[in-house]
Amino acid sequence: MHFKARAGQKLADVILQDNLKKAKSKFVDRRATAILDLDDFEATRDSATALRDRVLNDLDLWLEKFEQQAAKSGASVLWARDGAEICWLVIDIAHRHGVKKAIKSKSMLSEEAGLNQALETAGIQPVETDLGEYILQISDNEPPSHIIAPVFHKSKEEVSALFARTHHLPAKDDIQALTREAREVLRPHFLSAEMGISGGNFLIAETGSVALVTNEGNGRMVTTLPKVHVVITGIEKVIPTLEDLATLMRLLPRSATGQSISNYFSLLTGAKQAAESDGPEHLYFILVDNGRADLVGGEFAEMLRCIRCGACMNHCPVYQAVGGHAYGWVYPGPMGAVLTPLFTGMQNALDLPQAATLCNQCGVVCPVKIPLPQLLLKLRAKQVEAHLRPFGERLGLRAWAWLALHPALYALATRIGVRYLLWLARDGKRNDRIRVLGVAPEWTLGRDFPAPEGKTFRELYAARKETA
Amino acid sequence: MMRVGLLVTCLVDMMRPRIGFAALKLLESTGCEVVVPQTQTCCGQPAFNSGDRAAARSLAVKLLGEFEACDYVVAPSGSCAGMVRGHYVELAGDDAALAQRMAALAAKTFELTDFLVNVAKLQQVPGEFQGSITYHDSCAGLRELGIKQQPRQLLAQMPGVSLNEMPGAEECCGFGGTFSVKFGEIAAVIAAKKCDNIHSAKSDAVVGGDLGCLLNIEGKLRRMGDKTTRVLHIAEVLAGKS
Repeated sequence: MHFKARAGQKLADVILQDNLKKAKSKFVDRRATAILDLDDFEATRDSATALRDRVLNDLDLWLEKFEQQAAKSGASVLWARDGAEICWLVIDIAHRHGVKKAIKSKSMLSEEAGLNQALETAGIQPVETDLGEYILQISDNEPPSHIIAPVFHKSKEEVSALFARTHHLPAKDDIQALTREAREVLRPHFLSAEMGISGGNFLIAETGSVALVTNEGNGRMVTTLPKVHVVITGIEKVIPTLEDLATLMRLLPRSATGQSISNYFSLLTGAKQAAESDGPEHLYFILVDNGRADLVGGEFAEMLRCIRCGACMNHCPVYQAVGGHAYGWVYPGPMGAVLTPLFTGMQNALDLPQAATLCNQCGVVCPVKIPLPQLLLKLRAKQVEAHLRPFGERLGLRAWAWLALHPALYALATRIGVRYLLWLARDGKRNDRIRVLGVAPEWTLGRDFPAPEGKTFRELYAARKETA
Repeated sequence: MMRVGLLVTCLVDMMRPRIGFAALKLLESTGCEVVVPQTQTCCGQPAFNSGDRAAARSLAVKLLGEFEACDYVVAPSGSCAGMVRGHYVELAGDDAALAQRMAALAAKTFELTDFLVNVAKLQQVPGEFQGSITYHDSCAGLRELGIKQQPRQLLAQMPGVSLNEMPGAEECCGFGGTFSVKFGEIAAVIAAKKCDNIHSAKSDAVVGGDLGCLLNIEGKLRRMGDKTTRVLHIAEVLAGKS
């Protein structure tokens, strides 16, 4: 199913539409207030953009530096080319350490890899511990619909019914009670799992550390309780120094949730040392390419700056109308409309670069100034170059462009065209709108098409010149 | 005397010639000599936004030839002015001489209200308008060209106008050019939100600087059953007698 068909369903989803309305004030207004804390938000954006570009220009060197430092602190650094290799590596580590159960905090890379399913097939039980991700897991492994609020599309009532059904407990109707129930169900899993799997918001090259930004506290337990901790993250997440981390941390929580800092912020370095009382005995980093290396130095390289805050989708009129599932893969909204065709193949996501008004509400809020509309335009150009657009569209565009290059014929065609439109608008009274427009039927599905005046400017201007 | 080329825009040419004449009147009222090249058709934006850069480039070169001799190029549209200013140089590709000419054209191309306020420094708005207005900031004008205060400054000069700002004035109306016909259902939902915001400003007219957005908004207002809120281009208000 394509974006458009899914979007149609989502427009009719009452619960989703209600949540989208509420979320707007939550994300958009809170961010607007939060960025006022900074003396100079724009200058911070500029520094963040520059530092992300600096890393990406020498990505291989910074990754090597990270690998050396991480190894010094007792961690192992592994490399995965794609999702299948992530699964293979995690399962291999699990087997080596006799892991039967893995608890997870949020990781978008594990979504890219379809890791949960692979673990189950290998006989290892994955348990999501981020509340939103847990809800999705027990809801038949539904995909997330937002990168930081994965369960965005569900109502409290749906979650209540789902919990009652899954936990065999009486249904609860307030959010606190539901959260408490989830904590009680999850606690034994935290204590019994042999492996914790997390994502990573940033990798710090100078120290070999991973930085984690979370709000629920589950991330702390996932990364410290089990004897094995596996960090899965994209190769583009590396940054040079802790100083750089400070710059980016001024922007990430503010852009994402409108918080000046997230409830929990962890900086994890190395496995447990002899004198230390907690932490994992074994720490692994799986650094993933999955399409990223191909973007380095190319015309889409700016996309690699992304720090996954979700501000672009929160501010996108299309996302606000249809939600995340319509986008069809792991990443929704403007960043998803760029990443999905780049990571999964252009031909697999033909609608996405087109499904944008190019309003640039995303570009102006992006904390690392990714020119998202420009990237969407480049993808549209690639689609045309690769002959991936429908024949009718290509023909129509070519015919129109040819006409526009021949002013005399263009003048004639538009004269006829506007008279035809005016004729379509006739209804005996106002004659000011067209209710069904055959040449652009999509327009009149939900709107009228205003009638033209009836003559072109060119005609009227020529007539005026004659009389003058 | 300053020689100003009026880029009518294809949408105004076909749908609302009166906006073109209003722009003409406004430009003439500043004492400029206004030329209207008769062979002009379209700036190429529909082709550019559809990914057909070859077609967009041909149309850009055509427009360059038509307007290059003018001191300024003015369009009653932030979107078309933004196309010339923001994308023509990149369409020139490796042709350095062409890129240079495109850059010169881009530098002298302005959206109408921006030109009136910041270049021609219009002292007296020629038109009259009695009533309340709410202003929709079109995306391209606002975020590509920084058009925000210019139309408001001009409206403030008109004694009969009261301006009521709507919530979310800077949010997209859902037009998006080809988006509005490729994803009509979504565009209509976005337009409905814009219309709700317009209604909450309780004004006689919604005014904007881009005809595409205005057609989208008018079409949604009428479909929602609103037959009274007037939908006007800023040029019509500034030049008009209504």
